[in-house]
Amino acid sequence: MTTVKIAGEGAALLPRRAPRPKSRQKGQGRWSALFLSPALIVIGVFTLIPMVMTFVISLHEWSMFTPITEMNWVGLENYETLFDDSNRIQAMGNTAIYVVLSIVITVPLGLLIAMLLYFPKLKGKGLVRVILFSTYVIPTIAIVIIWSNIYAPGYGPLSTMLQAIGVTPPGWLSDPSWALISLVIFNVWQMLGYYVILLVAGLTQIPEDLYEAAKIDGAGLVRQTWSITIPMLNKTLVFVLLMTFINSIQVFDPIYLLTQGGPAGSTNMVSYEIQRSAFSYGLAGESSALAVTLFMSIVVVGAVLGIVMKGRNK
Amino acid sequence: MSGAVAVQARRAPIRRTPPRGRLTKAFLYLLLAIVAIIPLFPLYWLLISAFKTPAEFASVPPTWFPAEPTIAPLVTALTEVPFAQSMLNSLIIVGGSTASVLVTSVLAGYVFAKHRFRGRDALFYGVVATMFLPPIVTLVPLYYLVSTMGLDDSYLGVMLPWLANAFGIFLMRQFIMDVPDEIIEAARMDGAGEFRIVWQFVVPMLKPAVVTLAVFMFVYGWNNFIWPLSVLKSEALYPVVLTINRLMSYTMSFEYQNVVIAGALVASLPTVLVFLVAQRVFVQGIASSGVKG
Repeated sequence: MTTVKIAGEGAALLPRRAPRPKSRQKGQGRWSALFLSPALIVIGVFTLIPMVMTFVISLHEWSMFTPITEMNWVGLENYETLFDDSNRIQAMGNTAIYVVLSIVITVPLGLLIAMLLYFPKLKGKGLVRVILFSTYVIPTIAIVIIWSNIYAPGYGPLSTMLQAIGVTPPGWLSDPSWALISLVIFNVWQMLGYYVILLVAGLTQIPEDLYEAAKIDGAGLVRQTWSITIPMLNKTLVFVLLMTFINSIQVFDPIYLLTQGGPAGSTNMVSYEIQRSAFSYGLAGESSALAVTLFMSIVVVGAVLGIVMKGRNK
Repeated sequence: MSGAVAVQARRAPIRRTPPRGRLTKAFLYLLLAIVAIIPLFPLYWLLISAFKTPAEFASVPPTWFPAEPTIAPLVTALTEVPFAQSMLNSLIIVGGSTASVLVTSVLAGYVFAKHRFRGRDALFYGVVATMFLPPIVTLVPLYYLVSTMGLDDSYLGVMLPWLANAFGIFLMRQFIMDVPDEIIEAARMDGAGEFRIVWQFVVPMLKPAVVTLAVFMFVYGWNNFIWPLSVLKSEALYPVVLTINRLMSYTMSFEYQNVVIAGALVASLPTVLVFLVAQRVFVQGIASSGVKG
């Protein structure tokens, strides 16, 4: 945006800079290509080509341990199998619940914490922000290990604390009706700091005089949040929502390391099925059909959010 | 837009602002403490569990501080599996891919920010779109490609898809756009080539972006589990997250639980240290990546 503007004005105000010799522009083209090629080659070969391959493989029967030239065309059969398989249906359902719960908890909680860390004059806010973010930099495997101990019945601190205040603790990871929720808590705990940083950054962009005016008019905190903060922050909020969605929908590590989809399939997830179908069962075609389904759901959600945002901005 | 909101706010029913007494302040500090304790507690638990004896670790109710601190679990973790080697493996893989991402991102970001050619912005948005693609979607063909190249079970095989990425290009472009055109033009007038312009005039102004991207890639590469899990077979090449996984799969009995925890603690130290050293610049950089996006 800015560069375009500068270029346009530059032509009028500083004619000495504007009419660049043609030869130099041609030379620049060569540099552009040279500088772009390392990045574009890596992204092309290791992201775009595999993406196309995923689509192609999803229409074939293939074990992935034989040469790709030997796969058999099956059309949409893999997709039909997918929606006939109760395990995969359950994995999709679990993933949907996991994603929705993660969003529903993360976005409002992240906003409240961001407001706490931005508006009032409190000592130690910077430190708290660093502490919040620190969970994001720790390897998920370490976090999985520690949370499995925190959730442990008997010797685990969480159950002990709940018992101390007279609450009977649930079985957490071993109870089919609690295991998924336990993983959501874990996910929110790990990722919240990242979103809080983004939201605080969004808050700093809201002009302060809006709040001044609202205060003069006697609007309280709730009213200010509803009429100023949320509408002015909606771009950041949508971005955080999208990132939470994309990050949660690909949850893999805690499932692989901790629950293997259990108990009773209650934490089986799409990404775990994708990996397991291909690497353990040699069903790369079905695995890819599931991967395409996951990809399409991101495209759809992204498109819907995009359309909603466009509508609002008008 | 801002005017409309202000007008809307002005129409709000007149209400007295809540009393800003000491009570409110105390309440806010209480909230702040809770917000700090919730992330800290599991980390505290990680730390103390690593120094408990197996008996104390399994005691019901749990102890909140190790009664007889011991380094035995730590020693077992570091000796039972090739721990030092795997830390080194992680460093090699992460160091190589981070360096590559920095170079490729600065170069591509510079072109997207400062060069003009037809289709530039379309190309840029195409690159940015890949940022939203979860790696799990391409895991199977990526594994197939890398193993067909004969690079499975090698450092390079793990590093290949991490040598460049859209986030880095995006971040660098946003920061390079803030570099004044005049500086680049002046350097060009003085006869500086494009490489020198980038290296001598652009890069020195990108310190926060470089630090942010480096820390981000370091953390990403160090913590990533599924890709090395898929592509590596030899234990001698395992990054530390796979070694911890190995340690975990030995046994789930109590005698080993705090050994696994001690290993997890050591494996977490590098990313935590890197983050703490760079946190001021890094948090700022992540924040501006969101605002500018």
